Amino acid sequence: MEKETLIEELKALIVKSLKLEDVLPSDIDPDAPLFGSGLGLDSIDALELVVALEKTYGIRIPDEDVGKEAFASLSALAGYVIKNKK
Amino acid sequence: MSDRVALVTGGTKGIGKATAHALVRKGMRVFMNYASDDKAAEEALNELNASGNLARTIKADVSDQQQVNAMIDRIVRETGRIDILVNSAGIIRDGLLMLMPDSNWHRVIEVNLNGVYYASKAVLRPMIGSRWGRIINIISPSALLGRAGQTNYSASKGGVLSFTKSLARESARFGITVNAVSPGVIATELTKEMDERVRKEFLSMIPAGRFGTPEEVAAAVLFLASDEAAYITGEYISVDGGLT
Repeated sequence: MEKETLIEELKALIVKSLKLEDVLPSDIDPDAPLFGSGLGLDSIDALELVVALEKTYGIRIPDEDVGKEAFASLSALAGYVIKNKK
Repeated sequence: MSDRVALVTGGTKGIGKATAHALVRKGMRVFMNYASDDKAAEEALNELNASGNLARTIKADVSDQQQVNAMIDRIVRETGRIDILVNSAGIIRDGLLMLMPDSNWHRVIEVNLNGVYYASKAVLRPMIGSRWGRIINIISPSALLGRAGQTNYSASKGGVLSFTKSLARESARFGITVNAVSPGVIATELTKEMDERVRKEFLSMIPAGRFGTPEEVAAAVLFLASDEAAYITGEYISVDGGLT
């Protein structure tokens, strides 16, 4: 899968799984951090995103060390999914 | 509640078995975990399945993370879900601290505290995925009051109570509640083996003047597992005849 396509898909998944009512997928900057600043998501939101990503792509985000790398930005997340997708 | 799937650790004896029975009576599919006693497990299974076929036994040592993960994977693979976890497996190795063999400290922590950590961690992904879950931990008056001869046991149960409160805060957003039940002195195999002096000493401390039954503890667990208890989390209920 093209990284650009996956980024669009991930934007939609984030908006849907985290029920971000006021955010449009196009509002998400692919290079901004997903958590903390930016979208204003907290670490508990990340749990739900982990579960949704694991279910959708068959990947595993086993712990927060991996999570930090994967959630550094949308672009980093897409890279992680491509590398680990089953 | 009837399509729900529950796992009760230490589920083939005493309080665990009574809890498994109460959940089965609500029509749930219940996995009764046990560590080693195959005979007791078979008896419990026959007893619970006398009026239906909802119960299963599942063998795993809760102090072994690989076994716990394999157990929960198997339940999710077979049923597609896990809705309720009752952490009831526990051991006692009483003794005064100064003379306590180190192995008795470590073993109690491994089973009673680490076991709760492993099982709770393993059910969170499926529970968050379905946005519904119940984790109910069996603790003890020792966690609340302390008791001479039980530094290891009270530390493990006190740890579980604090764990309960923190995990409740992490998981409330997902429709998952995490609570504890603290049974007082309950009439089980353990109390049958008590000597008469200890028995009298316990009875004198219990305002209700009698030991509790496993079914009375199970009733509190069942309530916390219900939809009606959705807004209760990070709490504990004492079922102890007024002891604490």
